[in-house]
Amino acid sequence: MDKLSITGPKIRFEIPYDFPLLGRIRITDTLIISWVVMLIITLLCIWLTRGLKVEKISKKQAFAEMLVEMADKFVIGNMGEKFAYMVPFVAALFATSLVSNLISLFGVWSPTADLNTEAAWAIVVFIMITRQKIKANGLGGYLKGFTEPIVIMTPFNMLSELSTPISMAGRHFGNILSGVVINGLMYTALAVASSKLLGLLPGAVGALLSQIPILDVGIPAILSVYFDWFTGVMQAFIFCMLTTMYIANAAEA
Amino acid sequence: MLFNIPFLAETATQDLVSVAPWTFIAQICNLFIQMLLIKKFLFKPIREMLAKRQELADEKIRKAEADQVAAEELKSSYEKNMQQAKDKAGEILATAQKNAATQSDEIIRAANEQAIAMKSKAEADIAQERRKAVNELKGEIGSMAMEIAGKVIEREISEKDHAKLIDEFIENVGKA
Repeated sequence: MDKLSITGPKIRFEIPYDFPLLGRIRITDTLIISWVVMLIITLLCIWLTRGLKVEKISKKQAFAEMLVEMADKFVIGNMGEKFAYMVPFVAALFATSLVSNLISLFGVWSPTADLNTEAAWAIVVFIMITRQKIKANGLGGYLKGFTEPIVIMTPFNMLSELSTPISMAGRHFGNILSGVVINGLMYTALAVASSKLLGLLPGAVGALLSQIPILDVGIPAILSVYFDWFTGVMQAFIFCMLTTMYIANAAEA
Repeated sequence: MLFNIPFLAETATQDLVSVAPWTFIAQICNLFIQMLLIKKFLFKPIREMLAKRQELADEKIRKAEADQVAAEELKSSYEKNMQQAKDKAGEILATAQKNAATQSDEIIRAANEQAIAMKSKAEADIAQERRKAVNELKGEIGSMAMEIAGKVIEREISEKDHAKLIDEFIENVGKA
């Protein structure tokens, strides 16, 4: 494999009926892996909360309690007590993002490597931000906010408003995609390198061994520490941080 | 073929950056479904458990407070009982001491009395013995004297006549 191609998710299933505006329903890897991710998270939750005890708790239960407390602390710390109802949403966002990012470690398609996923999350957050703004200022106040400080700024204000979800989605997608691209490049390059290196051996042995991409073992794991682990955790955290910050700020003014 | 069966045909791929409205909609739904699932399977049981624990802790604190009050009551009652017991013990001790003193006094007095009685009895015995001895002596000395006198004067002296003289003599001897 000397040629590297980086594409979107594979389409596994298609209903060949063109809905107006929405087009065909295509079940892609993004959706299938998303469901797998949901299943993993839900099973994890069920496993963690099995056999809860009030006293003499197990390590597992201590971990589950710690997760809940962390989620509470994070959301209430960033948004205040009145947004306590947002805890499950932010927790779901974080968990889904994190597991989606890290599932690529198992060699499957990461749902977050599809911009549609991040766009969906960002739009939901954007609607929440807008709702809080309208709630805080009233519809008139919200619309009037665009014309400030002067009327001529209106298009720029609208642009800046729209840039929030776009930047959120783009940041997350770009970071994950970069990991996918770098990993793809790395595997291909190392395969070529090992093939050429072992091809130096004479005769049939060299011909056979050059088929095995021996350099692909181990070396990409080092890069994956940053591109999969660090980026995966970081982007999930950043996305949730921005979500809570934006919504809390929107509710203030 | 109606559907694109996976793995059989060459699987088609989406473009790297493309708009797939159904994926977009599905992901929004997925996010909210995930939220509900996490809420139901993680937050709800944990929060219920935490509330239960809180309740239990509150109950324990309440119980501890009640126990403390009860313990203090018990303590004061014990202290009261203890004081009573101490008082009573003191009383008993004092009574015993008094009794002992009385008893010892009694014993000493009784002993004294007995000693006095014994002494007086002994004195009486002694006196009686003396009297007896004197009486015996009286008889003997009388007869002896008469014998001597008879020999001296060579004549019989009537005992009756001279008994009075002899008595006087003995009386004088007894007094001497």
